[in-house]
Amino acid sequence: MVLRAEDLAKTFRLGFWRRRVEAVRGISFAVRRGEIFGFLGPNGAGKTTTMKMMMGLIFPTRGRAEVLGHPVGSRAAKRRLGYLPETPYFYEYLTPEEFLDFAGALCDVPHPERRRRADRLIGRVGLEHARGRPLRKFSKGMLQRIGIAQALMGDPELVVLDEPMTGLDPIGRKEIRDLILELRAEGKTVFFSTHILPDVETTCDRVAIVVAGRLRNVGPLSELLSARLLATEVVLRSGGGEGSSTSASASAQRGSGLPPLPEGTRRLSGTEGAPGGVVLEMPAGIDVDRFLGAALARGANIVSVTPRRESLEDLFVREAGAREGPGASP
Amino acid sequence: MSRILAVARNTFREAVRNKVMYSLMLFAMILIVSALALGELSVHEERRMIRDVGLFGIDAFSVLIAIFVGVNLLYKELSLKTVYTILPKPIARWEFVLGKWLGVMATLVVQIVVMGAVLALTLLVAGRDTGGGGPTDHGSDALQAVDAALPKALWLFLMNVTIVTSVAMFFSSFTSPFLSGLFTLGIFVVGRQVPDLQQLAGHLGGGIGQLLGFTARVLPNLHLFTPSGTIVGAERVSVHGQFVGPAYLGNVTVYALCYSALVLGLAVLIFRRKDFV
Repeated sequence: MVLRAEDLAKTFRLGFWRRRVEAVRGISFAVRRGEIFGFLGPNGAGKTTTMKMMMGLIFPTRGRAEVLGHPVGSRAAKRRLGYLPETPYFYEYLTPEEFLDFAGALCDVPHPERRRRADRLIGRVGLEHARGRPLRKFSKGMLQRIGIAQALMGDPELVVLDEPMTGLDPIGRKEIRDLILELRAEGKTVFFSTHILPDVETTCDRVAIVVAGRLRNVGPLSELLSARLLATEVVLRSGGGEGSSTSASASAQRGSGLPPLPEGTRRLSGTEGAPGGVVLEMPAGIDVDRFLGAALARGANIVSVTPRRESLEDLFVREAGAREGPGASP
Repeated sequence: MSRILAVARNTFREAVRNKVMYSLMLFAMILIVSALALGELSVHEERRMIRDVGLFGIDAFSVLIAIFVGVNLLYKELSLKTVYTILPKPIARWEFVLGKWLGVMATLVVQIVVMGAVLALTLLVAGRDTGGGGPTDHGSDALQAVDAALPKALWLFLMNVTIVTSVAMFFSSFTSPFLSGLFTLGIFVVGRQVPDLQQLAGHLGGGIGQLLGFTARVLPNLHLFTPSGTIVGAERVSVHGQFVGPAYLGNVTVYALCYSALVLGLAVLIFRRKDFV
């Protein structure tokens, strides 16, 4: 195992009255070598607090965590990992070259090798054009990229990224996603937190879902997502030709093209005479074949039939919906 | 060691690129050079006046810069969250604090040297303007003007700000820059009066005397770094005449470094148990 957390918990004491806030309430999980592990949860679930405990920035109230067998916070553990904090803040008076050189020096990378790595990483994250520009003039996306570059300066085995896609445009997100996949291809282990679910579906081998400071579920997405059918989406158009809802024959059939809708069916959009047809959502348990047969008999055209199974979003909402108590991090 | 030096180099770079620092330096230099004009007003005491005003300027501004930088040093790392990127790297927290301190000290060394050079130049100019006789006399006057007392005084200022910076960093490890600045300034002001405090404690006696005596022992004796005009050993020393010898300089250097190490050690103790939420 590359990363292992056992019963990790953190309670903060806040304010004048030292009010107790349980940000993390005993989390255990393990990350395997070479996998991309997604750490999911709604805002305030305790993701960042957990990650900070693993980086040695926050001391756990209870439990322990190890990086490649070394206790978190130890120099041996820190040598093996690279970390990108959430919304990274860097020394704004430095240029990317100076910043990466500084990051490399902190990782004990020898000077000539530091320069080589900095050059390579600046190219890899697509910042050649901003090589001599101070970081204060960087956009959010550029800062995120230089943040990933500094996390890789020590050539770590484990790369920990806290919300790496936050604030990025679709192109920036795709670039970071591709970079994460490249890191896995190089044999590195990637652990990243996010609440942007499409990114998880396309990149993660396994995920953990945290809600209110507790771990709800851990495993491969395919195992966590329920295979059962949730609903069937049907798109129908009345007969009478391609989209010419104004034609005489179409007008004649309007109103009689669809059989009565089974109970529980929702009309999501359109009408059967409209060019795009009507979009229906039929709950699980309804005999879709019989309904379609009746529609065909009335002259309707079937445009598409799509069974809808549980998505990550459904799972996330299902797990987050069962949240309990105040688990927000301070 | 390379990690500590990396942090020190970065801290030095930050200070060098800070405009506020340049403003303070500019004020100090204006004060030193304006001593030339003040010197004109005093009959036959031009160099004494320039030296007094110049050394006062260097002392005051080096302390101001030390407090300004010292109180912001750790606080800025926390408030700007840059520490989140640095501490997960293989650097210990004590190395980080020591590196920051060394970076500030390097900045202060450069500033004191630059301000000292400006004062030396001012004294040279004043010596040339007021010296009588031929060109040879001009040169000897100028050399007299910049004697061994100046580097010694500058060294004492450096030792003074060593303690002031450490105290500022200690406060900034657990409170805001405003309060840290206030506390450090208070300690600086009282620290300069430690001999008076000790004398007062002796006079008063009783509980209050003991309390004052204890305070005088705990606070840094910053009066040691401005000995001009006081009796050291059996002789009165002055930057205008016979100044302190190497033994005195050695003793106060050891005192400054030991006191700084103690205060920095306390700062490290606080910093190493801190949660960076």
